Amino acid sequence: MIRYISARLLATVPVVFGVTIAVFSMLYLIPGDPVKMMLSEFQTSPEQIARMRAQLHLNDPFFVQYGRFVWNGLHGNLGTSIRDDRPVTQEIFEVLPQTVQLAVAALALSSLLGMALGILAALRQNSWVDIGAMTLATLGISMPSFWLGLILILIFSLRLELLPAAGGGDLPHLIMPAVALGLGAAAIIARLTRSSMLDILRTEFVTTARAKGLTGRTVVLRHALLNALIPTITIFGLQFGTLLTGTVFIETVFGRPGLGRLAIQAILNKDFPLVQGSVLIFALGYVVVNLLVDIVYAVVDPRIRYQ
Amino acid sequence: MGVARRAGVGAGIVLLAVALAAVGAVTAAPSGTMLTVGLDQEPPTLDPEASPSAVTFQIIPDVTESLLYQGLDGKIQPWLASAYKVSPDGKSFTFTLRADAKFTDGTPVNAEAVKWNFDRVVNPNYKAGGSLSALSGYAGSTVVDDHTVRIDFKAPYAPFLSYAAGGTLALVSPKATQTQGSDVNLKPVGSGQYVVSEYVPKDHITLTRNADYDRKPPWSDHQGPAYVNTIVWKFIPEAGTRVTTVESGETQMISGLSLPAATLSHLATERTLRIDRNPYPGAPRIWVLNVRMAPTNDLKVRQAIEYGINRAAIADSVFKGLGTTACAPLTQQTLKTPSLCNAYPYDPKKAAQLLDEDGWKMGPNNIRQKDGKPLTLTINSINYGSGNLPEIELLQGQLLALGIDARIKSQARPPWYEDNYHCATNGPVLFLRSTDPDGLFALFDSANIGGNFNWACYSNPEVDKLLQTGRETYDPAKRSAIYRQIEKILVDQAISVPLVDEYSVWIVRSNVTGTKYNFSGYPILTDVKIGK
Repeated sequence: MIRYISARLLATVPVVFGVTIAVFSMLYLIPGDPVKMMLSEFQTSPEQIARMRAQLHLNDPFFVQYGRFVWNGLHGNLGTSIRDDRPVTQEIFEVLPQTVQLAVAALALSSLLGMALGILAALRQNSWVDIGAMTLATLGISMPSFWLGLILILIFSLRLELLPAAGGGDLPHLIMPAVALGLGAAAIIARLTRSSMLDILRTEFVTTARAKGLTGRTVVLRHALLNALIPTITIFGLQFGTLLTGTVFIETVFGRPGLGRLAIQAILNKDFPLVQGSVLIFALGYVVVNLLVDIVYAVVDPRIRYQ
Repeated sequence: MGVARRAGVGAGIVLLAVALAAVGAVTAAPSGTMLTVGLDQEPPTLDPEASPSAVTFQIIPDVTESLLYQGLDGKIQPWLASAYKVSPDGKSFTFTLRADAKFTDGTPVNAEAVKWNFDRVVNPNYKAGGSLSALSGYAGSTVVDDHTVRIDFKAPYAPFLSYAAGGTLALVSPKATQTQGSDVNLKPVGSGQYVVSEYVPKDHITLTRNADYDRKPPWSDHQGPAYVNTIVWKFIPEAGTRVTTVESGETQMISGLSLPAATLSHLATERTLRIDRNPYPGAPRIWVLNVRMAPTNDLKVRQAIEYGINRAAIADSVFKGLGTTACAPLTQQTLKTPSLCNAYPYDPKKAAQLLDEDGWKMGPNNIRQKDGKPLTLTINSINYGSGNLPEIELLQGQLLALGIDARIKSQARPPWYEDNYHCATNGPVLFLRSTDPDGLFALFDSANIGGNFNWACYSNPEVDKLLQTGRETYDPAKRSAIYRQIEKILVDQAISVPLVDEYSVWIVRSNVTGTKYNFSGYPILTDVKIGK
C-alpha cells in the first residue's frame, strides 16, 4: 500500500510542475505590457512603471523568474496583489475556507443524494421509483447551476423568506449554494450508481451470495454496493473539478466570498499575481483530490494496488 | 425490498435535513440598530486618496471627512474647515480648521494633518487615485498655525473648493496611516461618524458608530453620533440577487447600478420600497469619438452619427428610470444648456444625407462604402464579466441602421484603458463623475491625450485656452459662460455623443428614513433611522 501511495505521489510531481509552468506563463501569453495593464487606472510616471517592473523582476530571464516564482511559492509567497496591494496568499487564504466549505458541502450532498437515488432506482428497476429518480436526475443534469441558484433564491428567499440570498459564513448561507452546486453532480452520480448497481446485481457472485441465503440487506450493502462504488469514486474526482469551476458562478450569484469570485475579479482587473495565485490553488486542489481518489480506490479495491 | 426502502429513506433524510436546516434558518428581521446595504461591487480600496473608483466614495462619506461639504444644492459649506479664504491672485486657499475635530484614533485634525494628507497624494512613491487630478498644479501646503493651513497652487484654481469638498481629498489620520501599512486599504482611519470595524473581503464591510462624535455635520439634523449602531455594506454582484435581498428585507437598501431595465418600474410598485433618485454631476454616459482615427476623424461622419443615434431610445430602454436623455458633454445637473439639447435631433434621414454627401454610399449588406472600403468602426467597451453592455449593443444596432458596421471591442478594464490611452479604437463609452464643470479639462484638454481621460484624442488650442481660463475664473456667472462656450464648440464639432444623464439610484425599504445624498449623489447614512 505504501509503495502504491508513493508511486501516486511521485506521479503528481510532473503534473504540479506542468501546472506551475502554465500558471507562470500566463503573464507572458497575454498581449500587452503586464505592468501597464496592472497600473492602467492610475496616473503613473515612467519611473513608477520601471519600479513596478523591477519589483516584479520582469527584466530577468524567463527561467530565472520562473525559478523565483516556484521558490517563493514553496515559501508561501505568491507575490502582492496589484489592485489591493496585499499579499496574494493572505487574500487567497481569507476566502479559501468558504470555497472549500461550499465544495465539500456540495460534494457531500451530491454523493449522499446521488448514491441513495441510484441504489433505489437500481433495486426498483423499471418501477415508478426508478422512472421518477431518473427523471429527477435528467432534470438535475440539464439545469445550469446559476439558473437553479436564481430559482432557489426566488422561492426560498423572496417567496418563503426562509433563507438568506446573499453572503457567506454560517449554515443558512451555505444551504442554497450547496444545493444549487451539488444537484447537477448528484444527478450524474445517481445515474452512474444505478447502472453500476444493475451490472453488479446481475453478476454471479451476487447470485451466489443470495443462494447462500444471505439477507437482501447484506447482499446489497456488503457485496453489491462496495463493488458498484468503484466507477462512482472515479466520478467524484472528476466532479470535484466541475464543482470547483461551478463555485465561480455560484459565488457570484449568491454574493458569497470565495476563491472563484476572487479569481474572476482578479482576471477582470488583470491583477496577474492574484490570477496566478488563485489558478494555482485551484489546480493544486484538483491534483490533491484526484490523488485522494486514487488512494481511496486502493482501499476499496485491493486489486488496484497490486497491479 | 428492505434495502430499497432504506435507500429511499436515505434520500429522504438528505432532503429533510436540507429542509429542516432551511426552516431553522429564518433570516433575522431587520433590527433598528443595523442597516444592511447591498452594493454591486467591492471597492478596490477604502483609502479615499488611493481610490480611482466611485465605489469607494459610496461607502467612505460616513467614515472620513473633508475640509468642505457640497450638498445636493451644490453650495459649498464648512465641514472640517470652519472657514476658508481665497487669495486675491486665486492661487492660495487658507483654511481655518475646527478645533474640536479628532480622528477616531484620538489624534487631532490639525493643519499638520491636512498638509501630511495632501503631500501624501502628490508623493511619487504613492499610488494616488482620483485625488491626484483634484490637486492638479499643487505647489505645497503651509502650516500657518495649529488650526490654519494654506494650500498653494501654481496657477489660480477655482475648482479646488469643490474638489476639497469631495471624497477624493477626504482626510485620513497621519498617525494611524503610517503605522497600519497596506491595511489602510481596508480600514482607513478618518474623523467621521463611523469606524470601519470589520472588512471581510468579497463579502462585506462593517461600519460601527463612533460614539464619541459630538459635532453637527453640515447635512445633519442633529449634533452627536449617528443614529444607527452598525452599517453593513454587502457586496452582491448579481443584480437579481441584490433586488431579492431588498424585497425580502435581508438588506434595507441597495444600489440601483446595472439593474435590468424592467426592474425599477416593478420595484416602484412595491409599497414596502422607496426609490431615492438624484442626478449625478459630471459627464453623462457618453461615447467620445476618436478624432484621430478613421472614420470618426471625419466631421461629417461624426455629425451623421449624432443625428442617427436615438438617445431617447437608449435612455428609455436600457436606462429606464436610471437616467434621462443627455444633451452635452456635461450633465444638465452640472451645467444647464437647453439650447444644446436640440443641436442634433434624432433624424436618420439627415444622417443618411450627410453620409451620402460625404461619399459613403449604401453598399452590399446595408453597409455603406467609399472607394470600395466599408464604413466600419470600433467601439471600446468594458466587460464587467457578463459580456457586452446592453447600451453598446443598442448603439451598434442603431449604427447598423445607418449603414455603419460598428464592432464592439468588449474587454476587461485594464486593456480597455490601454486602448484609450493609445487612441486605438473609435472611442469608448464612459462616464465621469466630476463635481465641477472642470471635468471637461480631463476629457478634452490636449494635455490629457494618452492619459486620463482625453480619449477623443482631441486637441484644440482654443478649447485648451478656455479650459484654463475656466480654471482661473472664480466668478460663477463668468465661469458658466466659459464652460457653455466650450460645450458649444465640442457639440458643433461633434466630438462626443452624449447618451444618458444618469441618476444615482438607491432602492430603500420604506421603514428606513433619513437617507441623505451629497452633491456626487453618494449616500450619507448618519441620519438614518429604521422604523418598524
